[in-house]
Amino acid sequence: MTKKLNIALLWLVLIALTLGGSLLGEATVAGILPAMVIIVTMVVKGGLVIDYFMEMKDANRSLRNLMHAYFYVLSVMALLVYLFGDEIALLLTI
Amino acid sequence: MTHELSTFVGQPPVAGRIPGNKGIWAGILSEMTEFALLFIVYFIARVHNPQAFHDGSAQLNLFAGTFNTLLMISGSYFVANAVLAIRENRTSISLRWLLLVLFAACGYFITKYFEFRWNAQHGVTGGGDVFFGVYYYLTFTHMVHVGWGIIGLLWVMVRTHAGAYTPAEHSGLEAFASYWHATDLVWLIVFPLLYLLR
Repeated sequence: MTKKLNIALLWLVLIALTLGGSLLGEATVAGILPAMVIIVTMVVKGGLVIDYFMEMKDANRSLRNLMHAYFYVLSVMALLVYLFGDEIALLLTI
Repeated sequence: MTHELSTFVGQPPVAGRIPGNKGIWAGILSEMTEFALLFIVYFIARVHNPQAFHDGSAQLNLFAGTFNTLLMISGSYFVANAVLAIRENRTSISLRWLLLVLFAACGYFITKYFEFRWNAQHGVTGGGDVFFGVYYYLTFTHMVHVGWGIIGLLWVMVRTHAGAYTPAEHSGLEAFASYWHATDLVWLIVFPLLYLLR
């Protein structure tokens, strides 16, 4: 598969994931499962942009790991805040 | 000269390299750090005001947020193609892809204008509500970075038109592309946190 075709397909996948996420956001109320789907989708989309649009897949390893780690850390924080918000609020209260 | 040029046409980037140049990566990592701090503010505000974040998200214009996400993703796709075109020594094609990036960026600002106008009509204002305060802080800051990107875009369009980039040397165009992708990446986090997560 040529690189041009590769990124064209990736573009379509990202559009589909965005529209799917928006439909989920429109159709559902709060819940652990929709929240997890939304957060995992965020990580997947970010990872695809980093590796293929940004061409980090075969680039400097440290820089690539740093970019991916940014998404992993933020997604874990988002999930923890969503699941254990009250407990974290207590820890942060002076 | 022709022989030298032909050795670079269509060549994939060298493995292990830094896309663009080190300078732009200092800028990108600064941008990511700035937004990391804003995301921490979002998390702290959220744990202390869960109801405001649940209710606030539902009051935003999801269509505008989704449309801007599609424009950011498409801008990233267009700029990736602009880089590929230069590697094939197709300058005019590269310029056309960059023009599409400009359309996507302008579309982003036009959508933002209509979104903020819609917000004002529906009582989504920055004063008082903590969620809307965080929403405006994050989205305005992101909008500023898209604005910086447009200045960079106009510069690389002029340079591309002038024939400054070749298959052998186009690090300036790659540097802009990397910045634009980073701005896209930030929006891919802002969008679900503000518009989708109830």
